[in-house]
Amino acid sequence: MMATALGRVSRSRSTYASLRLAVLQFIADPQWLIPSMIAPVVFALVSFELFRSAGPYFLTYAILGAGMMSMWGQTLYGSGWATGQDREFGTLEPTIQAPTPYLYVVLGRVLWNVLSGLIGGAIVYVVIVAFAGGPPALPDPVGFALLFVFVMVTLASVGVVFAAFYVYTRYAGFIQNIGEFAFYIGTGCMFPVVLLPFYTNPVSLIFPPTWALDALRYLSIPGYRGFAWGFWGDLLGAVATTAVYLGIAGAVFTRVEHHVLEEGNLSEY
Amino acid sequence: MSSSGPAIETRGITRAFDSRKGFLFREATRTEALRGIDLSVEQGSIFGLLGPNGAGKTTLTKILSTLLLPTSGAAYVLGHDVVREADWLRPRMGLVLGGERGLYNRVSGRENLRYFADLYGIPLGERESRIREVLGRVDLDGASDRRVEEYSRGMKQKLHLARGILHRPEILFLDEPTIGLDPKSARETRKLVRSLVADGVTIFLTTHYMFEAEELCPKLAILSKGRIVARDTVDRLRHLVGGDRTIEAEAYGFDDREVDSLHRLPGVSKIVTEEFGPVSRLTLRVRTDETGPEAVRAVLANHAELSVRERRTSLEDVYLDLVEEEAR
Repeated sequence: MMATALGRVSRSRSTYASLRLAVLQFIADPQWLIPSMIAPVVFALVSFELFRSAGPYFLTYAILGAGMMSMWGQTLYGSGWATGQDREFGTLEPTIQAPTPYLYVVLGRVLWNVLSGLIGGAIVYVVIVAFAGGPPALPDPVGFALLFVFVMVTLASVGVVFAAFYVYTRYAGFIQNIGEFAFYIGTGCMFPVVLLPFYTNPVSLIFPPTWALDALRYLSIPGYRGFAWGFWGDLLGAVATTAVYLGIAGAVFTRVEHHVLEEGNLSEY
Repeated sequence: MSSSGPAIETRGITRAFDSRKGFLFREATRTEALRGIDLSVEQGSIFGLLGPNGAGKTTLTKILSTLLLPTSGAAYVLGHDVVREADWLRPRMGLVLGGERGLYNRVSGRENLRYFADLYGIPLGERESRIREVLGRVDLDGASDRRVEEYSRGMKQKLHLARGILHRPEILFLDEPTIGLDPKSARETRKLVRSLVADGVTIFLTTHYMFEAEELCPKLAILSKGRIVARDTVDRLRHLVGGDRTIEAEAYGFDDREVDSLHRLPGVSKIVTEEFGPVSRLTLRVRTDETGPEAVRAVLANHAELSVRERRTSLEDVYLDLVEEEAR
């Protein structure tokens, strides 16, 4: 009798395995160098010119604008797209069939997307600082860095929900493409949401990055006038909506997994 | 072993697929892929499932391996319900769907196995040795560090197999495991399957290759249009289709009286007539030893160009008879 390997499946190990595989696939595929390494340089230069006349904190505006431009897609959509690739490769079936809940595989990819998004952010920072001839005036650099990472987490929490759509249907890419720019503008990635018509604000507020980005602007741009509830209100809103999204993602994944086993569409792409 | 009962037991499994066409006026269609499957597979054996394309083999394999929910009925693997106890079953079962897809092509075969070893919770200390072991078993150790996109179809098939056995499952589902393999690799795969059974693994195998099923499977079932049309040992299936001996006679046309005369020979249970251009072939299934080629030649003595030969009824004969009968 061949002994079955019934080692306890560690969820953190599964997440790490997924992260590792994502890195290996990234390294193996040179096309990713463009969105993750070259695009941030272009965005930084565009943003630098765009915000040049935005006052004494124009560098911060430029960094936030370009940083978000280069990171949001990577972090938010990368996770869903990776699941779409699982469909295309036919690896969704064996992965779902493995004893690890698929959510933990997605989390590994989300982590990688957060990391690669941060690399993009760092490139933006370096390029803009180089062009400006010095770093931006940040009132609280440590708080800025921490909040920057948290913004990535809020983007990732939406990304996990998107990934569930990709498990659910092969048409998720279509839904994602439709919502892409509305989401980009609606969450304030490029410019503050308060500049948008008031009636769009309720829609914007259902997304965690909206709150987190507004908080980030409050923290890094003195005199910034965002939502009326200010920095702490934004932060609280960001934490609460992120928790809700992660909770939704957990619940949705359980249901989606059951649903796709009912539909039998795991191998469709 | 997880249970002393059958490795697989199904009761009245059905599965329907709904699809919709059209944009404004959606038209729903329902396809019945499985229509009441009852099966029992002994532990530690190889069970073969044969059937034409679209018969429902892959659907049944996916239901048993927890990748698809049945529409109705119940299925138990190792005594556990495949729907409610999928979490318990998944680490104990392996699935090889095969084909060009199902692998991460941009990374190496070894990295593919590492990834799945982690998802299956293979102890870290054993992971590399286990990967080496399975790569050796499927004869891929020389190519394990090459990217999968550089593999031939046969090599990908071997990697699928390696992944399927990596976590040492108690039951292994193999869907067309030798498709795309060259004869040597296919033979090695069959050898591997036999060695797994010797290790106590239960194998559920679907295949199109009759000789493969005949060689590997002591028991098998034939699936056609979502129903099991026969289920038994190969010898008993031969009996089911009219005998384990087959006599074929070829000439330029036979008349009805000759065919009637052949029907009256002792032990002749069935005669199939086929035309190949000007040549006609009669295929006789014979249950007893009383009627041999000589008796057939005597009935057909008027034909100058007559060829008669006797052979054992093959599994392919059985399969074609049963599937054609079901189609009628």
